[in-house]
Amino acid sequence: MSPAANDVHAVAPEAVLSFLTRTLPFNELDPATLTNLARHCIIDFFPKGTLIFRQGLTEVNHFYLIQKGGVKIYLKDEEGSVTLKDFRGEGEYFGALPIIQETRANLNVETVEDTFCFLFAKEAFLALIHSSPKVTHYFLRSMSEKLVKTAYAELRQHRVNPRTESALYLFSAQIGETIRGKSLYTIAAGDTVQAAAQRMAEFNIGSLLVHDGREKIIGIITDKDLRTKIVAAGLSYQSPVAEIMASPVETIPSQAVCFDAMLKMMRLRIHHLAVEQQEKIVGVVTTHDIMLLQGTSPLYLFREIVAQRKIEGLYSLSGKVPQVVRSLIEEGAKANNITRMITILNDQILDRILTLLIAELGPPPLPFCWLLMGSEGRREQTFKTDQDNALIYADPEGEEQAKEAEAYFKTLADKAIEHLVACGYPRCPGEIMASNPKWRQPARLWQRRFDGWLSTPEPRDVLHSTIFFDFRGGYGERGLAQRLRQHLAEQARKKEIFLLHLAKDCLEARPPLSFFRNFIVEKDGEHKNLLDLKTKGLVPFVDFARLMSLKCGVRESNTLGRLQLLAEGDHISRELYSEAVDAYEFLMQLRLIHQMQLLEENRTPDNYINPADLSDLEKQTLKEAFEVVRRMQSLIKQEFRLGEA
Amino acid sequence: MVFKALTEAFLRKPPPSFAENRAFFKGVDQGRPLEEYEFVVYDTELTGLNPKKDEIVSIGAVRIRKLQIMAGETFHVLLKPRRQLPKDSTLIHRITPQQIENAPSLEEVLPRFVEFCGRAFLVGHYVGLDTSFVNRAARRIFGAALHNPCLDTLRLAQAYKEMNWENYHDRFNMNVSYNLTDLGKEYGLPAFARHDAFEDAMQTAYLFLFLVKKMRGQGIVTLKELFNAGQNWRWIF
Repeated sequence: MSPAANDVHAVAPEAVLSFLTRTLPFNELDPATLTNLARHCIIDFFPKGTLIFRQGLTEVNHFYLIQKGGVKIYLKDEEGSVTLKDFRGEGEYFGALPIIQETRANLNVETVEDTFCFLFAKEAFLALIHSSPKVTHYFLRSMSEKLVKTAYAELRQHRVNPRTESALYLFSAQIGETIRGKSLYTIAAGDTVQAAAQRMAEFNIGSLLVHDGREKIIGIITDKDLRTKIVAAGLSYQSPVAEIMASPVETIPSQAVCFDAMLKMMRLRIHHLAVEQQEKIVGVVTTHDIMLLQGTSPLYLFREIVAQRKIEGLYSLSGKVPQVVRSLIEEGAKANNITRMITILNDQILDRILTLLIAELGPPPLPFCWLLMGSEGRREQTFKTDQDNALIYADPEGEEQAKEAEAYFKTLADKAIEHLVACGYPRCPGEIMASNPKWRQPARLWQRRFDGWLSTPEPRDVLHSTIFFDFRGGYGERGLAQRLRQHLAEQARKKEIFLLHLAKDCLEARPPLSFFRNFIVEKDGEHKNLLDLKTKGLVPFVDFARLMSLKCGVRESNTLGRLQLLAEGDHISRELYSEAVDAYEFLMQLRLIHQMQLLEENRTPDNYINPADLSDLEKQTLKEAFEVVRRMQSLIKQEFRLGEA
Repeated sequence: MVFKALTEAFLRKPPPSFAENRAFFKGVDQGRPLEEYEFVVYDTELTGLNPKKDEIVSIGAVRIRKLQIMAGETFHVLLKPRRQLPKDSTLIHRITPQQIENAPSLEEVLPRFVEFCGRAFLVGHYVGLDTSFVNRAARRIFGAALHNPCLDTLRLAQAYKEMNWENYHDRFNMNVSYNLTDLGKEYGLPAFARHDAFEDAMQTAYLFLFLVKKMRGQGIVTLKELFNAGQNWRWIF
């Protein structure tokens, strides 16, 4: 305790604080946020054998971080048989998923040792998730990994024909087979930890075996060692690897089955085992390898995308996105989380394509930013939707540089679009793509174009320009996109005529309330109606959020994000906000499931649903969602003084 | 100066909470489940062990509600003793004379501590010692002592051990230590820095939580039962 704390009664609990600074992802937070978090922490103790969460029953009001001890996480089905899901120990957490999904505990959590936990209130945890991208990213990634595991269990429980072979696979697959094709990465004991970290980053791996300079493997270092023994302990990056390695390395014979490896790792609480074949180390098996045997993991796909060294390698990977999303949907993840996940995966694919292209073409003559428009810009993509993109680059100085930039970015955009098509993202029918010179411009001209739309709006232009107003930077110098957004936010709110056009457009979409009356008739078989979920359901929400954001200077592009900021700024009522969020999420969910089903049947995803396929509850909810549309529209009428014309 | 004298005179009068607290704790129902009570776990650092001449140099405390530690509801102060800080005590708690040069006096701090304790039950490791120092000061300053009942984690630990004696000869085990650090180690509690009033209070809070929840599993559910368990411990010799 510092002497400065002398007269301060409420001290920030040092114990909590120092624990957080050693724990991912909290160590990424700034000191003020951390201190605040620590002050609101509750410390609880659960004797061994305490059932903290009861599946389907416990209301989860706190996020639990394990300070000391450990828990097991398991599922129990109706017959009472138990499926063990995970063990969590010190520095690990539970309860995040039910909070994010706003559900009750989805699994049982029981202490296997006397356990002390730090508890953080649900609201504090959500605020943290929403405020820090790094934290969001961390939980999104680890969450998806866990989701898939759960989804797998659900599938196994409820499917008529369980994929027994995959359940038994753990018991039959030998370690040797599982790691076949994986290279053996090593480092000499005398090398520095920095060299080790560089090597791990280069190959995108989490561990290296340590050799003694000759052939013999004498230890292992993992990224966790780097975090806890070097970074957190403040040791020099020049320390030799031998100083922090775990030695001797834990091994498993290559002919052992994967289940043995899993048990051994659980028992020793480690994530890596060296695989031994005839007294020689031939590779490493990780918890992740084992997990992969159980299903398709978004995390796995994420890593595979990031690790691609050839653009052609990406072509097949993007096709796996629906597979990954499928298990998330079945788990009951909210559409908003799923679309954000799809966005992250798509962003990664774009990132790889452009990074590899730049490596091929040489560095760009000027900073640029790849702009994503429409649903991509709003981070609301479902399955493969058309490309909507553009390119902005820094203003060139002089003719020569302008020419050079034009030529370079033309080649870059043309190639990128081709690769994206090959990855399964169809061309935009309206040619709104970076390959179109109209949408590949220096910053100055972009600004001028937006000013044009704003100042002399033609009704037709307004309609066409809406997707541009949802742009965000997808790759490159994000500052270019941000400055454009800033300019737009400042200008748009002043352009009343433009906003009026946009408002009128919002009122065009008539909520199909009468549709339900028709639908009652349809039961008698007289009609066969399909409902366009996109234009009738989702678009009004998107349009409303966009219009109000432009009017109020909100810079966000995501619809839910826009609504939240609008509510926080008191531009819309809390009530309308929460209704709109519920309705919009429900509509997204409905569309996602619908598209998933079409994909399963090898049909092209579309937005047309047959209300006859909906349950009564779903129909009712849908009807309420359209009610919300009406309420949003009456707010627009009021704000823009548009009578019932 | 007049104002200061007035303030001091006011402070010397026992604040209303003393009388109220006495009435409150007289009427308190001890038969309710433990999680319904509020506890303040506290510890002091002293210049020495003689209540006649030694003084408090630091108070640390943390609140427990619903049998959970409220990590943000804490109290920690260093105090300027009236006498000079003895060197040998500095060796234990590492509070140096420089650190407390500008520290407030007990007169200033004690009301705030009493307020912090409110209607909570006090918990400490060998709490009798700390309470005797606090109450001596309270009598001097307010002319009244605190009425908050105290629970001693040392006695609770003894009771818990006794509950778990499996064999007759367990009670003759001479190697049992009831030192705060040793208990923490034995029960696998997270470790805190020793001889800092606040850290010790936290350590004691962890021990208290551990003991109470462990004993709850063995049928000690109400406050009364816990009091009895603490007192049932018999001296063997």
